Amino acid sequence: MIRVENLRKSFNGTVAVDGISLEVNASETFGLLGPNGAGKTTTVNMIIGLLKPDSGKVVINGTGDPTNPQIRLDIGNCPQSLSIYEDMSAEENLRFFGKMYGLKGMELSKKVDWALEFAGLTDRRSDLSRDYSGGMKRRLNLVAAMIHDPTVLILDEPTVGVDPQSRNLIFEGIEAMKREGKTVIYTTHYMEEAERLCDRVAIIDHGVILDLDTVESLIEKHGGVSVIEGDLISPPDNPETVPGMVEGTKVRIETDRPMEEFAALSGKGLKFSSVRIDKADLEAVFLNLTGRRLRD
Amino acid sequence: MRKVITLAAKDLLLLWRDKFGLFWVAVFPLLFAVFFGSIFSMGSKGPSAISIALVDQDSTQESQAFVEKLSTMKELDAKIVGFEDAKNMVRKGRVAAYVVVEEGYSANSDFIFAGEVPIKIGSDPSRKAESAYLQGILMKTMYEGFQERMSNPVKMTEKLDEMTESMKSAVDLTDGQRKTLVDLFSGLRDFVVAADAESLDMADAGMGEIKVETVERETTSARPRSYYDISFPQSVLWGLIGCAASFALSIVYERSRGTLIRLRLAPISRVHILAGKGLACFISCVGVIILLMLFGGLIFGVNISNTLNLALAAAASAFCFVGIMMLLSILGKTERSVAGAGWSVLMIIAMLGGGMVPAMVMPSWMKTLSHLSPAKWAVYSLEGAIWRGYTLSEMMQPIGILVGIGILSFSLGAFIWSRMEA
Repeated sequence: MIRVENLRKSFNGTVAVDGISLEVNASETFGLLGPNGAGKTTTVNMIIGLLKPDSGKVVINGTGDPTNPQIRLDIGNCPQSLSIYEDMSAEENLRFFGKMYGLKGMELSKKVDWALEFAGLTDRRSDLSRDYSGGMKRRLNLVAAMIHDPTVLILDEPTVGVDPQSRNLIFEGIEAMKREGKTVIYTTHYMEEAERLCDRVAIIDHGVILDLDTVESLIEKHGGVSVIEGDLISPPDNPETVPGMVEGTKVRIETDRPMEEFAALSGKGLKFSSVRIDKADLEAVFLNLTGRRLRD
Repeated sequence: MRKVITLAAKDLLLLWRDKFGLFWVAVFPLLFAVFFGSIFSMGSKGPSAISIALVDQDSTQESQAFVEKLSTMKELDAKIVGFEDAKNMVRKGRVAAYVVVEEGYSANSDFIFAGEVPIKIGSDPSRKAESAYLQGILMKTMYEGFQERMSNPVKMTEKLDEMTESMKSAVDLTDGQRKTLVDLFSGLRDFVVAADAESLDMADAGMGEIKVETVERETTSARPRSYYDISFPQSVLWGLIGCAASFALSIVYERSRGTLIRLRLAPISRVHILAGKGLACFISCVGVIILLMLFGGLIFGVNISNTLNLALAAAASAFCFVGIMMLLSILGKTERSVAGAGWSVLMIIAMLGGGMVPAMVMPSWMKTLSHLSPAKWAVYSLEGAIWRGYTLSEMMQPIGILVGIGILSFSLGAFIWSRMEA
């Protein structure tokens, strides 16, 4: 579906993207996970043809030119910035962007109604966007990218600065897109989002892909072990049967399969007054790969 | 084309909703026109003096006195010249008319002129009102001179004695006719000697007519009919400047807010985007011109002498400022930098082009410099259609310059913009 070969881009001598190659399959949700300034936006801007790479190639649907108008009809882009006209209502914004993609008449009206419903903005359709909350603007920003029903969606940090309710609405929308078989490229620096939404994730830092795989495989390869820490109601009768460190009622167990291990401990009759499971995640993957946290 | 219209409609809607921007585009120019038109009208004591060229072909004491009197009248701005020079001055539009005091003026001036008066007016046919006003002034002056002479008993008795002697020696009169006329003049003389000056008032005397001939004008430099004729073209300039600044900022706004990214990703070309922006700016400019001209015409009596010329001037001026808008939009990357630099450039353009001080009262060095300002040509073309009375061919100079500046600046702006966005 989308093939990126050895993309490079620098700005005034500073290398932003340094030889990125990846392949996104049809109907896949592909994540680009990395801290701010890692090169995610530069990479997607080259993929959709907004930026010309210094070298390398992008191939979408078999053609090498993402600036081709026919290819662009298949792409929907939700930029990181709020790319809507604040002095226009949600409906006016959607109508305008729909017309830019050649929609008209009943088809345009239907799409606009669908998008307003999708974004939960039907009741506020005629209000000026400047009067919306941050979350409502984000949702409008998202559906403006989907008004023409593209097969490829580029979502560049679509949940930056939104409230939990709007974030959930956006997640549900993206999951609905996945079910419809859309191909999604999702950039984020929130590992929970990548874990929840993405089939595969590329960990990117300083313009380089550090690893690219499914979330499970990345954690398995780079996440390290999970840790179960807890307080027992009473000390175990046979501490040697516990696969970890036991000091009185305190227990600490390192394991690759924390949930299975916790179930096994319960099976042995151990009763916890409190327990904490530190499961390996993409944050740990990034920490292990770079020595830094995602939000450092 | 539909997408270009959609883009333009979006920009016009955004301008309409930007009340602050709308103020600078439409309300400020209107206030400017009304304010300055009123201020200068209040300061004026009446219509401007009519500029004329005076020719004295009689060269007598009487004709010189008449010419002298005309040249000191406040209603006239008179220059005494030869006939050919006078004719050329009318042709070139430097004066509204010439007045020739013909030979024989003195010989016929003692009594009421019978038949044709030996005075001739040559005027530009497009300036009929000024010509008629001038005829009135001449009639009044001649009548006043005649009245003055006839009200003087000494001069009158001298003249009657001279005429009585003339009748006595006339060979073509019969004895009866001679006696009747001599008796008449003698009786008249007795009456004048007995009467006082007041009773000799000639208030109801009649006079002949002044000959009026027309002189075709080569080029014109007519005068405005009121100060609103000057302030409204100037206000149009401010409207155009407001439009150019507003749309230049909207290009930067689209860039900084990210909507330009959406547009660039849509299946439309950069030409569509720029054409949409240009069309919106053009429509706004023309709309502002129509609004101001309607307001000026209906409320302040600004009289458009040629509607077709005004349409051409409006279109050319709007086109020129669309180009300038494009050029302004690339003066910086942020709204603040473009707003600052844009208004600075526009202020200089306006200052040089007669947006603040009318070009007609500028010092000569500034007039020369003003040729570089598109604002000058915009005002010039509008004035040409409103009060300068330009012909279509005369309009071609400012219109050609405006269109040329428009093409150059739009092309250059679009080229640099494309490179900036690449």
